[in-house]
Amino acid sequence: MSQAWLPLITLATSLLVAPLILLLPERAWRARAALNLSAALLKLLLVGLMVVGLYQGREFAFGFTVVPGVEFLLRVDALGMMFAGLSSLLWLATTVYAIGYLEDSPNRKRFFAFFSLCVASTIGISLAGNLFTFLLFYELLTLSTYPLVVHRGHPAGLAAGTVYLRYTLSGGLVLLLGVVGLHALVGDVTFGEREMLRDLDPSYHPLLIGLFLVMLLGLGVKAALVPLHGWLPRAMVAPAPVSALLHAVAVVKAGAFGIVRLVYDVYGIQLTFELGLLTVLTVLSVFTILYGSIRALAQQELKPRLAYSTISQVSYIVLGISLFGPFGTIAGLAHLMHQGLMKVTLFYCAGNYAEELGIHRIDELDGAGRRMPLTSLAFTVGALGMIGLPPVAGFISKWYLGLGAVQAGMPWVIGVLVASSLLNAAYFLPILHRLWFRAGPAHGKGQWPEERCLGRFETSGWLLWPSLATALFSLLAGLLAGLPFSPLDLATLVATEEYLP
Amino acid sequence: MTATLLLILAILWPLVLMLRSPLRLMMEQEALWRPGPRPKLLDAWWASAPLPALALALWPGETTLLLEGWLLGGVWQLDEARRPWLLFSTLLWGLAGVYARGYLIAEQQAGEAGDGETFRRLTGLALLWPLTLAGNLLLLLAEDIPSFYLGFAVMTFAAYGLVVHADNRDAHLGGRAYLIMALFGEALILGGLLWAAGSAETLTLTGLRESIVDAEQGAWMAAILWLGFGVKAGVVGLHVWLPLAHPVAPTPASAVLSGVMIKAGLVGWLSVLPLGDPAAGLEPLGRLVVVLGLVGALGAALFGITQRHPKAVLAYSSVSQMGMLTALVGIGLTDPALWPALSVAVVLFAAHHGMTKGALFLGIGISEHPPRLPAWLLWPLLVLPALSLAGALASGLASKWAFKGVLYEGGHGALVIWLSLAAVGTTLLMARALWRQWRERGHHAIPLLGTMPLAWLFAIVAATSLPLWLPVAGGVVDSPWPPPDELPGLLWPVGAGLALAGLGFYGLADITRRRRVVWRLMPGDLWWPYASLARHLGAGLKAFGDGLETRGSRLRAWLVAQEKGAMAWIDGLTRYERRFRQLAVPLMIGVAVLLLLGFWLE
Repeated sequence: MSQAWLPLITLATSLLVAPLILLLPERAWRARAALNLSAALLKLLLVGLMVVGLYQGREFAFGFTVVPGVEFLLRVDALGMMFAGLSSLLWLATTVYAIGYLEDSPNRKRFFAFFSLCVASTIGISLAGNLFTFLLFYELLTLSTYPLVVHRGHPAGLAAGTVYLRYTLSGGLVLLLGVVGLHALVGDVTFGEREMLRDLDPSYHPLLIGLFLVMLLGLGVKAALVPLHGWLPRAMVAPAPVSALLHAVAVVKAGAFGIVRLVYDVYGIQLTFELGLLTVLTVLSVFTILYGSIRALAQQELKPRLAYSTISQVSYIVLGISLFGPFGTIAGLAHLMHQGLMKVTLFYCAGNYAEELGIHRIDELDGAGRRMPLTSLAFTVGALGMIGLPPVAGFISKWYLGLGAVQAGMPWVIGVLVASSLLNAAYFLPILHRLWFRAGPAHGKGQWPEERCLGRFETSGWLLWPSLATALFSLLAGLLAGLPFSPLDLATLVATEEYLP
Repeated sequence: MTATLLLILAILWPLVLMLRSPLRLMMEQEALWRPGPRPKLLDAWWASAPLPALALALWPGETTLLLEGWLLGGVWQLDEARRPWLLFSTLLWGLAGVYARGYLIAEQQAGEAGDGETFRRLTGLALLWPLTLAGNLLLLLAEDIPSFYLGFAVMTFAAYGLVVHADNRDAHLGGRAYLIMALFGEALILGGLLWAAGSAETLTLTGLRESIVDAEQGAWMAAILWLGFGVKAGVVGLHVWLPLAHPVAPTPASAVLSGVMIKAGLVGWLSVLPLGDPAAGLEPLGRLVVVLGLVGALGAALFGITQRHPKAVLAYSSVSQMGMLTALVGIGLTDPALWPALSVAVVLFAAHHGMTKGALFLGIGISEHPPRLPAWLLWPLLVLPALSLAGALASGLASKWAFKGVLYEGGHGALVIWLSLAAVGTTLLMARALWRQWRERGHHAIPLLGTMPLAWLFAIVAATSLPLWLPVAGGVVDSPWPPPDELPGLLWPVGAGLALAGLGFYGLADITRRRRVVWRLMPGDLWWPYASLARHLGAGLKAFGDGLETRGSRLRAWLVAQEKGAMAWIDGLTRYERRFRQLAVPLMIGVAVLLLLGFWLE
């Protein structure tokens, strides 16, 4: 009994918080913070329970029929749990961060309500047991993130919001077409029932290829695959916690996760491989990886550079799943978590620099390592991880990607990885150099753009601790990758399920 | 058990000491922001960083440590092959650390007195020195590939902070050259490791070597890895960072950079290349390696004698010596049967070069700040390691004898001639370095019993007596010294070099007066063409990117215009609205009439 309800309760923790927050008055920030934090903690606990249950081989599922032939289904599987674990962990961190970040700013009630809705959607996406449920939450995510993107309400934000809506809504529409097409072909598509499409007559294969490409197009918008990435750098005008969440778990990851579901649980890796669709994914992701990195090089501001870096890094996930073989799968799935941890750290740090010192441009960062050593340390960890240097988590992803490439018989992909590492180094190392090796305002040379002393430490504790915690997690995910319950271990579990019938 | 503990402690102790400085600073946070006395950074504890590793190297017996949760599964190991490397590396690190406390005493005092800028630079050194050491030790001790790569990367990147310590223009140029070249090296290494480890799905270096032998494209893997480690080892063409980074680093950092860290490239080769495996089939690569090694050995010697800065001359000498070692590694690829004997000579040669070059670098600080020693004692002591490096006596003679004997037995007489020519070059370089040291000698005497002179003296003793204590392949070499009748064959390059140096010394004044161009050969040789090539390439790429950007924005503008048109058309539809309304009544009437007609007709 309780097992069936567990996914539902998990979903409800964040879904029900939204109206409660709206009921609270704007000034009751303590109550709101307490509500937010307790919901986040509760959800982390519930997800933890489900992960442990999953390792013990228990089944959690909840479902009802909406209309005949269409079912709403929440179900726990290893793949979904990875994503749910990531989003609940980062939700907690980001809630803490957002409370500190939005201190004394207007419309906090609206912000946190939609923030909860947004996280509820990601949890829904991760727990969705069939394509219909997935689509439902996928669209809910689009709508609930819009108010966050335009939160500040200035013209640039509104314009970015419009671009965001255009891209995501049309992407959602295209996805809907694909899902409807698939539904018409085989009925309700439950994740994991791969024989449904596999057993179809080969004469349907061209149709299947077409539907796959249509759905890929729809999902590719959120996953920011080039050339569908245009909204992401524009959405940088959002407040730092939103950018962090957008890049690390919510929107971008939802797209990538959707592609993972599409390949593994709808079509099945075998069928995708036989239809030659993995090559499409490889080419697309390789192009995105290189393009994103090259564009990142040209950015003069911190957040846009991180945004282009996200475009490049998220495609590692797609690259990983496009490499046929267990190692590629492990790489893609592990990177889903690793990238989230590292990127969220980088965005927190960018937010810290902006809040504490008013820094937005990269050339203003000179000597910031002395003024904000812990933030800069966290940023360094994140950046080194992005480059793929051990012992940060990014190295583990890169290692398995390389192994996967050889296993899939495409050693040239290693060349792409190496080139991408070099490009990552070319746009992250200059930042680190400025942070640590240049003299700046902290050494009595010039002035910070807008210095505020927000707290006892180098900045407000609400901003500092989440950054340090995620940095530590990214470090540990790499350093102790061999331990149970590490991202690598979870990814290995999924890959074993996928390849061993 | 003790050995395993020592193994963990060897890596951990430098890291603990690294964390100690910021923790102390944090506790005295108030002190940091106000002017006034600051804590002493480079204290005796700081210099103790390599001691556990030294104890490990001296501890008898082999040990292996398995770390399951570490990265992808850690395997750290101390075996007889690693012991000599560990021993001479830690010894040099320790001596350089002690030396640094004396060398940087002025900065230390200024920092303690409250000079913020100096204190900042010193803090960087105090943090990054032990970190570099930890990376170096890890790469020596690691048997699993991720730990090895981790150690290599940590050492490479942390050493950047040592290179730019002076924080002036030259230091940043040297640092940039160092970092850019190192990045290319790291990238190639990563690519090679992934490819080779992926094709055999192995995690250990032993497995990697086997994988290269078995793999179809093993030669390419080996070539990529060779190039990647070649950056660190100063292979010709990739060596450009050495002469730029060495002169600007603080002298003790130059000593470990040249003595130990560039050896990491050699360690990399020995760890990943299937040397001595007859099934490897890497003969073509081996021949290329030999040729490139000899080009480096001779070219660097020729270019180095034009340099003015004694440390730049010594850096070129390192390139030259590493070229000789590269050629020997190449022989290991072309003639695998010879490798077991040759590897002993390579280890001996590498350790000899490491210790001797370390002593020479430390000597540069000594000639700048001479201790209270009479000149007749001081200068012979400075000349001693130089002569040893040229191969005239002590460890130089022994290591030369070691590889010469093996090469003659293997029928590589021509190579010996070339290596002897390189030794002539080394002699010239040494003469040049000492001459420049003499010209730039300082007069402000420091006490003899300070850390700096003592570390230097100990380094000379350790370097010259190296064959007596270095455990190569399980024990000290039995008879390291050549028999007397071999001496003429071994010593003629030194003689020739000295004669040439003497000739050059007399001709020099004349040449410099007439041709100033000789002195304009900048340190870093190929770096300058590389840099200008990169600038042109960058400009070209930028132009290309801008072109794409304008084309893209034109496309976007066109799409926006199309969309505006479509929206205008949709908006225009409202104009038809009234017409539809007007049409509605006639339409209804028409339909009604039709229906009526239908009924009527029926």
